[in-house]
Amino acid sequence: MVTAVLAVLAVAAIVFCYTFPLERYLPAAIVTARQVDELIRFMSATGSALYIFVAGYLVYFAIAFRAKASDAPDAIGVQIHDNRKLEFWWTVIPLLFVLVLSIVSVRIWYEILLEPENGLVVEAIGHQFYFSFRYPQINGEVTDEMHVPLNVPVTLNLTSADVIHGFWVPAMRLKNDTVPGLVTTIRFTPRLAGRYPIICTQFCGVEHSEMDKQVLVIEDKASFDRWYKGWQQKNARVSNALPGASGQAISLQGGDAAAGKALFSQKCTACHKLAPFNQTLVGPGLEAVLHDPAHPDLVNGKAANPADVASILENGYTGSMGAMPSASSNGLSPQDIANLVAFLNTLK
Amino acid sequence: MAVAAVHSGGIAEHIHPEPQGFVRRYVFSLDHKIIGIQYIITAFVFFMLSGLLAEAIRTQLLNPNGGFVAPGTYNEVYSVHGSAMVWLVIIPLLTGGFGNLVFPLQIGARDVAFPWLNMLSFWIFPVAGLMLFSSFLMGAPTAGWMEYPPISLQGAAGTSMWCAAIFLVGVSSTITGINFVVTILKMRAPGMTFTRMPLFVWGQFATAPLLMIATTALAAALAALFIERQFGVPFFDPTKGGSPVMWQHMFWFYSHPAVYIMILPAFGIISEVLPTFARKPVFGYKLIAFSSMAIALLGFMVWAHHMFTSGLAPFLQLPFMILTYIIGVPTGIKIFSWTATLFGGKIHYSTAMLFAIGFIGLFTIGGITGIFLAAIPFDLHVHGTYFIVAHLHYVLVGGSLMGVFAGMYYWFPKMSGRLLNETLGKIHFWLFFIGFNCTFLPMHWLGMLGMPREVATYDPQFTFWNRFESVASYLMTFAILIFFVNVLWSIRNGRRSGPNPWGARTLEWQIPSPPHYYNFKHIPTVYGLPYDFSQPLPYKGLEEELTDSPPPVAAGVH
Repeated sequence: MVTAVLAVLAVAAIVFCYTFPLERYLPAAIVTARQVDELIRFMSATGSALYIFVAGYLVYFAIAFRAKASDAPDAIGVQIHDNRKLEFWWTVIPLLFVLVLSIVSVRIWYEILLEPENGLVVEAIGHQFYFSFRYPQINGEVTDEMHVPLNVPVTLNLTSADVIHGFWVPAMRLKNDTVPGLVTTIRFTPRLAGRYPIICTQFCGVEHSEMDKQVLVIEDKASFDRWYKGWQQKNARVSNALPGASGQAISLQGGDAAAGKALFSQKCTACHKLAPFNQTLVGPGLEAVLHDPAHPDLVNGKAANPADVASILENGYTGSMGAMPSASSNGLSPQDIANLVAFLNTLK
Repeated sequence: MAVAAVHSGGIAEHIHPEPQGFVRRYVFSLDHKIIGIQYIITAFVFFMLSGLLAEAIRTQLLNPNGGFVAPGTYNEVYSVHGSAMVWLVIIPLLTGGFGNLVFPLQIGARDVAFPWLNMLSFWIFPVAGLMLFSSFLMGAPTAGWMEYPPISLQGAAGTSMWCAAIFLVGVSSTITGINFVVTILKMRAPGMTFTRMPLFVWGQFATAPLLMIATTALAAALAALFIERQFGVPFFDPTKGGSPVMWQHMFWFYSHPAVYIMILPAFGIISEVLPTFARKPVFGYKLIAFSSMAIALLGFMVWAHHMFTSGLAPFLQLPFMILTYIIGVPTGIKIFSWTATLFGGKIHYSTAMLFAIGFIGLFTIGGITGIFLAAIPFDLHVHGTYFIVAHLHYVLVGGSLMGVFAGMYYWFPKMSGRLLNETLGKIHFWLFFIGFNCTFLPMHWLGMLGMPREVATYDPQFTFWNRFESVASYLMTFAILIFFVNVLWSIRNGRRSGPNPWGARTLEWQIPSPPHYYNFKHIPTVYGLPYDFSQPLPYKGLEEELTDSPPPVAAGVH
């Protein structure tokens, strides 16, 4: 009888979990969001059914087996110590459930991991207290909204300019931390146009609570292209080097390549080889950095030029190639920077 | 060692002279029972302070744009609330407090193995607690109880004080862990084999290695953070070659086992209270004991499930997900066994029993959501949101704290010789149970719908449920006030309990309440498990315990 009531309740809970209109409260903006919802439905259905049975029997036993006024004061319960069969099954059935849950969650996790790799590359950089975004053909940084076109796969590289932030779009059911000195990647395919809040989920300082004002805009290709062109024009004259603390351009006049060569072997060789770009030590190889057309862009957008390299030496770098300390931590004077750039310019 | 020869009963029979004077008896006491009570009182003082901080949090969240305290102050408030509740309240209550008070009695020992270390371990604790709260004077830590660098490197001077305070608590925990392991291994009464130990002792036995081993990782991390903050050695700052993720590994290598430090002793309390008040043996003794050890072992292998969003390689994340699922199996075994313990019982509803049954109901919710969170795709959605806040409070309040209250109502007579008032106790239980659920249940959906944790202001769409939670949290605080009133009133005016008010069968109930400083006149011999209500008590040598005869070994020989 009790079991039947609990079974009915459990079935009701399962039906509720599978029919609850989750997307009415939280739209599923990307393809894998619906798969995460499927996992949420599966887990909440099985979890609540299990809970109904545990709590149901608990309450039933607690009421049915209470000591009654008619009982002798020293009456004792039934002296059962254990039941091998019962214990065997309530070990084995949860183990089997773990197996099923592992299969279900790994399958859905793989859907997220196996999103296409050749999509639009966007870089999101966490700052205290906003995110900025970099796009392949836009100079500098986009500082207000992140736009992506509908149905086009996106590869989002996340990093941070200062402390750890969390990049969360609830409508994507997806987040990752932006960790300084580390690039983490999430990939997704937008499926539903709209404006979705981007929320920081790692405490990042006194205005952390305010770091929920930016939005991810998913829109059709034409609107996206208009937005993209707008930023290309707006940022046409912006340097691609990351904005630095001092902001004062370094004079590269009078750089001494020989002095720069000596300095390079003291200060730079711990992290950089004079070898092709892909031979990474800590940072990339710097052979022909300013002249090799095959050398990838130092920062998204355009080929490296002496001013950008000087800016990186001055301000440091945090981005998809890792993190490099600034001139003040490396002990470089403006003249040292001019010398180093002159030396790098001789490498052809 | 000429002294050893004097005591014909061997080292275990040895009775030290009675400590004289207030200071030696109650302040710098070597008696495990007094030290346990000192732990409990100190921890409850810190509990009141960090409970007030919790109410400051809920008051701030009455309105979406806050306004009760400034955002910076709010960050200090929840950081100290979390740190204090974990390190100054739950862990000391369950290990140093109830552990010290109860388990040496349950194994028939005169004291713990190292009483002086025990005293040292206690006295470190209030000092460290005062240090933690004093950090408010110099700018308290703001980055939560986890203090992830690099943001914790930017924190005010109090963050270094936080490192030092938690380091000291860690030293205290480690000492306690060593002491408990040695005591349980070497000082059990004759006949008290491992398979005859009460389940509370098993809970402590599973916890103590966690205290010893895991806490050292935390100590290393705290020392590194302190050194980096004070002397600039870059362990964690990435711009100087450090790794911020390393902190997370070291922190969670401690803090995940710490979850079990905070729950295994509570499991032990529940496993004592249930059979006593259901008047029947605990169901599946061996499996409950074994599952505690399995949880303790597995607890070391799952720490990175707190770091699924930190950029770990996918192949590293997978085993952490599956191992975490597997922890659900021994935990489930316990929950099923406790439920089965009620079957066919003659259940007496004391307040302790209400809290024990409430524990099962609430902890199970925290356990199930814990399994949800281990699923990487789900965690990628709710990590760092109020869903986590809900989950951890269901485990640590619905679980650990309910266990603490069950233990308080159960063992208060053993501490004081008087019973807590049962009417006030039942009001306490029901208000607390309702207030708790109304405070923390809505946080599950707030988190899933987009409310991040550690925020001083929030999206106005969440206003209704936040107000609901805040009002319910005041109910919880009121319930706890009733508890404190009950304790203060009952210490003087409670009904006298006699040695064994509950008809319980473990050893601590076979001697007077409160026990003599030497615990047992004669160390008893144990013949079986304590939970067989149909059998005579499985102990021999207890005949004189409740008489007025003096202890046989003359005091003062040593």
